[in-house]
Amino acid sequence: MNARALPTEVFEPFHSALPPLKPYWRALWARRGFISEFSRSDLREKHFDSLFGQLWLILNPLLLSGVYFLLIVIIGGHSDKTRYAHLTACLFLFYAIANAMIGGVKSVTAGQRLILNTAFPRIMLPMSATLVSLIRFLPTIAVFLVIKGLLGLPFTFQMFWAIPIIAIAFLLGLGLAILFSCINVYFRDIATFLPYFNRSWLYLSPILYEASALKPELRPLEHINPLFPLLDSWSRVMVHGQAPSFSQLGISLLWALGFLIIGTYFFLSREREFAVRV
Amino acid sequence: MGDLAISVQNLNLIYKTTIDKRPTLKARMKSLGRGTKLTRIVHAVNDLSIDIPYGSVLGVVGANGAGKSTLMRVISGILPPTAGRVEVYGKVSTLLALGVGFNPSMSGRENVLLGGLAAGMSRSEIDKHFEEIADFAELGDAIDAPMRTYSSGMYARLGFSVAVTVRPDILIVDEALSTGDARFKEKSLNKMKELRSDARALILVSHALGTIQDMCNEVAWMHKGKLIQRGEPGKVVQAYQEFLEVGKSAVVDEDV
Ligand SMILES: Nc1ncnc2c1ncn2[C@@H]1O[C@H](COP(=O)(O)OP(=O)(O)OP(=O)(O)O)[C@@H](O)[C@H]1O
Ligand SMILES: [Mg+2]
Repeated sequence: MNARALPTEVFEPFHSALPPLKPYWRALWARRGFISEFSRSDLREKHFDSLFGQLWLILNPLLLSGVYFLLIVIIGGHSDKTRYAHLTACLFLFYAIANAMIGGVKSVTAGQRLILNTAFPRIMLPMSATLVSLIRFLPTIAVFLVIKGLLGLPFTFQMFWAIPIIAIAFLLGLGLAILFSCINVYFRDIATFLPYFNRSWLYLSPILYEASALKPELRPLEHINPLFPLLDSWSRVMVHGQAPSFSQLGISLLWALGFLIIGTYFFLSREREFAVRV
Repeated sequence: MGDLAISVQNLNLIYKTTIDKRPTLKARMKSLGRGTKLTRIVHAVNDLSIDIPYGSVLGVVGANGAGKSTLMRVISGILPPTAGRVEVYGKVSTLLALGVGFNPSMSGRENVLLGGLAAGMSRSEIDKHFEEIADFAELGDAIDAPMRTYSSGMYARLGFSVAVTVRPDILIVDEALSTGDARFKEKSLNKMKELRSDARALILVSHALGTIQDMCNEVAWMHKGKLIQRGEPGKVVQAYQEFLEVGKSAVVDEDV
C-alpha cells in the first residue's frame, strides 16, 4: 500500500436523492447469500422445518378457505365446486401477497441491531421477508392442484400461465414490502393498521365473488385495485384452465412495477438515515 | 508511521430526533393539531479531524455521550456524515457495541452467519472461520441456543470473536470488552496484541483507562463531539482523569 493510494471508501454527506445505483447493486449482489440464509433461518425459527410446521402451512389456508366458503353458502350466493376452487386459489395468492406485506413491514425496524452495527444495503431486509412468503406460498399450489383434481375441474396446458402470474404477484408483494417497511420506520403504528387494510383489500378483490359477478356500479374497482386484473387472470388460469387476457396481464405487470419502482425509490432515498431512526 | 488508514476531515454529525418515544402516525396527527413538530438536535460529532495511520493502536476515551460510538459508526459507513469527509483505506471490521446478535430468537450460529453475510463476507469464508470463532468465544453448546438466552458477556464474547477472526485491515472495537469476565478480557487483550503486531490499524474505544494505556500507542480524548487532545497515552489519559475528577476543567471550557 502506498501513501498516494486511493481511498477504498469515502463517506461524505449525500446530496442526491438516491445513492449511486451501481455500487449499491454490487453490494446487494455480493450479499445475496444473506437473503436466502435469512429466509431459511426465519422459517426454521417459526418451526416450518418440522412436520407439524409444514402441515400448518397447508392447513391454515385450507381452513381459511373452508371458513369463507361457509360464509358464501350462508349468505346465499350460488355455490358450486367452481366457486370453491376460485375462492381457494384466489385466497392462497392473496395471502401470499398479504404475507409479504405483513412480514416486510417490520423487517427494517426489527433489524435495528444489524442496521446500527453493519453497513449493508438495507433493502435486503424487506427482500428477505418477501422470499419467506414466497417459500410459504409454494406448497399451497400443490394443495390447490389436489383440490382441483378432487373436484374434477379441467387441467390444461394453459395453466402454465400461472408462472408469470406468480412472478407478477411477487413483484407486487416485493414492492409493497419495501414501501411499507420504509413507512414503518417513520410511523411505527402502520403495522397495526395493516390487518384492517388487508381485510378491506380482501373484500374489494374478486376472491369471495368472481370478477364477472360484480355489480356494474362497482366496475371501476377493476381499475383502481391492483389485485383485480391479477386475481381475475389467476382464477381464469388456475380454475378454468383458460389463457389469461393479455391486457389484464399487462396491467397487472404495470401495477407491480409501479409499486416496486415507487417503493424502491422511496426506500433508497431514505435508507441512509435509517441508522439514526430505528 | 505507516500509510494512512483513515482520514477524518472536518467531520460533523447531527442527530435529529423527535421528542416522542416512538414515531407514530397517531403522534404525528396530534402534533399537527398543535402545529409544532418537536425535534431534538444533538451535535454528536463537531468539526472533528483526525488521521489514523496503519500500525497505530488508537485509544478513544471520553465521557458518556461524548460521541465516540457515533464517530465509529461514521468511519464504518453506517451513518452518513452531516458535513465533512471520511476516507478509509482498507477493509474495516467493526465491533460496535455487540454487533452480532441482531435477531435474539435465532441461535448464535445463525447470527454469526447472517451478520457475516450482511457484512459482505462469503458463505465459504464464514464457514472457514466458524470453528475458530466458536472456539475463541468458548460458548460450548450455547452456540446453538437462541441468543435471547445469552448473558451480556456471552454476547460480547461472540461479537469479539467474530470481529477478530475475520482479520480486517482496520479493526474498531467499541466497548465490547467491558462485559467479559477477567479471563476472557485477558484472552482478548492478548488477541488484540497479536493483531497489533501485524501492522493493522486498531481503534479501541473503552472506559477502561488501564487497558487503553496498556494497549495503545496513542490516545484521543473526545468531549461533546470535539477532539480535545490527542497524543501519548500516558499524558492524554492523565489529562482526561484530571478532567473527570475536577468535573469541568478549564481546558474543556475554553475549547467548547
Ligand atoms: N440514534 C440516536 N439518535 C439521537 N441521538 C443519538 C443517537 N445516538 C446517539 N445520540 C446522541 O449522540 C451523542 C453521542 O452519543 P454516542 O453514543 O456517540 O456517545 P459515546 O461517546 O459512545 O458514549 P458512551 O461512552 O456512553 O458509549 C449523545 O448525546 C447521544 O444522546
Ligand atoms: Mg458508545
